[in-house]
Amino acid sequence: MIAQDLKTLEERSIYIIREAKLKFKNIAALWSMGKDSTTMLALTRKAFLGKIPFPIIYIDNSIDFPETYAFRDQLSKKWGFKVITAKSKIKPDSVGSACCGQNKPEALKEVMQEYGFDALIVSIRRDEHGIRAKERYMSPRDKRFRWNYKNQPAELWDDYSSKLDAKGHVRVHPLLDFNEIDIWRYVKQERIPVNPLYFSRNGFRYRSLGCLHCTVPLKSDAKNVDDIIKELEVTKQEEREGRSMDKEKEYVMARLRSLGYL
Amino acid sequence: MLVKTIALLGHKDHGKSTLIGNMLMLTGAATKVRIREAQEYSKRLHKDFEPAFILDSFAEERLNEMTIDTTRAEIKYKNLAFAFIDVPGHEELIKNMISGASYGEVALLLVSVKKDEGIRDQTKRHLFISRMLGIDKLIVAVNKMDTVGYDRQAFEKVREELAGFTAKMGFEKSNVHFVPISAYRGDNLVKRSPRMRWYQGKPLIDILYDAAKGKGRFQRGELRMITQGVIPGDAEEHVVGRIVSGSIRSGEKVSVLPQGLTVKVVGIMVKGKRVKSGNVGENVALQLDRNLEGELRGSVITGIEHKPKVTDLVRLKIFVTSRFGKSMSVKFNGIDIVCKSVKVLHEIDVTTGETRGTKNARPLGAVEADVRLARKVPVENYDTTRELGRFVLYSDGRFAGIGTIGN
Repeated sequence: MIAQDLKTLEERSIYIIREAKLKFKNIAALWSMGKDSTTMLALTRKAFLGKIPFPIIYIDNSIDFPETYAFRDQLSKKWGFKVITAKSKIKPDSVGSACCGQNKPEALKEVMQEYGFDALIVSIRRDEHGIRAKERYMSPRDKRFRWNYKNQPAELWDDYSSKLDAKGHVRVHPLLDFNEIDIWRYVKQERIPVNPLYFSRNGFRYRSLGCLHCTVPLKSDAKNVDDIIKELEVTKQEEREGRSMDKEKEYVMARLRSLGYL
Repeated sequence: MLVKTIALLGHKDHGKSTLIGNMLMLTGAATKVRIREAQEYSKRLHKDFEPAFILDSFAEERLNEMTIDTTRAEIKYKNLAFAFIDVPGHEELIKNMISGASYGEVALLLVSVKKDEGIRDQTKRHLFISRMLGIDKLIVAVNKMDTVGYDRQAFEKVREELAGFTAKMGFEKSNVHFVPISAYRGDNLVKRSPRMRWYQGKPLIDILYDAAKGKGRFQRGELRMITQGVIPGDAEEHVVGRIVSGSIRSGEKVSVLPQGLTVKVVGIMVKGKRVKSGNVGENVALQLDRNLEGELRGSVITGIEHKPKVTDLVRLKIFVTSRFGKSMSVKFNGIDIVCKSVKVLHEIDVTTGETRGTKNARPLGAVEADVRLARKVPVENYDTTRELGRFVLYSDGRFAGIGTIGN
């Protein structure tokens, strides 16, 4: 996996986060408590003189790991930001796309409507999936959260021209250019707190975090951030192999994203 | 590791996605999952293994065998990494092509050597656009050599024709390289092919390395900071923006354009920390000796000498993607500005680079035009300060083209 120049990535992210805040009237950011969206919060603090100037949405499906809940409470207290919790109505027997593909977007839709947010910062990265590689830094969604990926806005020369259609919103992707290994190198450089589930216990660790139902740990002895960076330098496995949803069908991702999945 | 961005250009079906798919395989950069996915899909479509499927991820892309939107693939080589931006080659997807190519530092153009494919208008159009975007290094990979029996004459014919055209477009001869390849069979991609012994040059990956290893674009020393707006600090508000050229020091007197104000920099914050100076490439937050009135987006902070011109009339070279309607506007450093008028002076033939007597702004063509803006802006030639010499055009809110000053 290719490690990129962190300063370049960091500057681009800060630029995009500031641009989003100054361009849109009512912006929020999505925080899953994973490494990527926590890095996004750290970058937001850099962009806004140590503050996080917009509300943070967390979608709670009540089946996240206990470690994840503890991490949320600690960090929001430490960095002093407001968390809006969107409760998803999870059915005990639903897994994979039926769960992530329906429950989470529904919960998010309700919260977005209730607060009237016109833009949402989401911490996806291009290297996560071939479909995500096609995303723009700022990408419009219609009122039903759909992504019109066949006709995306032009995006060149720092012109983020995405406009809102009625009742839609714009997804903002400040971490699009980071690779997984860059996230971990940045976590190390900036000493960003991360969920302990990423570190190996009994020979296994979580490389990508979903909820209890559909995340399985991968074989790994990486017990700290340095170990993870070393592991990623040589791995041939994909990051989301432990997420059951990705395996179901090759186009599930395109379908989900066009339906409003994150 | 330094990542160099390579814009992959060329007509549809000349093998761009196949090339990158195969480069990913040959350099070991493709993950097992991606290869397996591509294998499964090739099988399902009753095809031999198609390396392009490693890249083309949308269902429609695999079914129709075309790239719809730009994508990025990274390959490590020696001490560099190349990020290939694969752009769609279809004419109707030119908007996505321009978006992708705008991030390129080097252009890699694919031309099929096949008789019925060869050099097309689209090939030349892509070269015209990449020159407008400021890309000056070009590698031409003459593809599908396997279909002509690896014939040297066929390669030379394409080379001769394109060498003349690239010179006309303003590419320097020493910055243009040609290599005969078969993207599908892997000839001359990462090592010299035994099937083309007549070719004495380096394989594609080494040519890319040589073109990319040089320094990035030179940025002249004059201070140019583009403002994004104002954010609150603990006590005073801060003007935020990015330094695109030069540097700024605390205590310095600076000009704010187009407002024409002179202010003093009281404090500078970079990434939340107080610093003495901000440098090119950095996003800074400035505390000034007074609060500036009104909207502060898309303004330029410069030294009090060597300022850019402030004007509402710009002469642009424009690549047109969509017909110019009644309501024209431009995007310039984050702000929308209405065009009071767009007066086309003449057309430019994108397949020859020559001026035409006609004055129509045709989609997929180019023009030179005088554009009168509804407000004054600070501008410079694109080659001097890119950010101050480039405009994105919209017609009735639709992307209609890109324009640059003086290149």
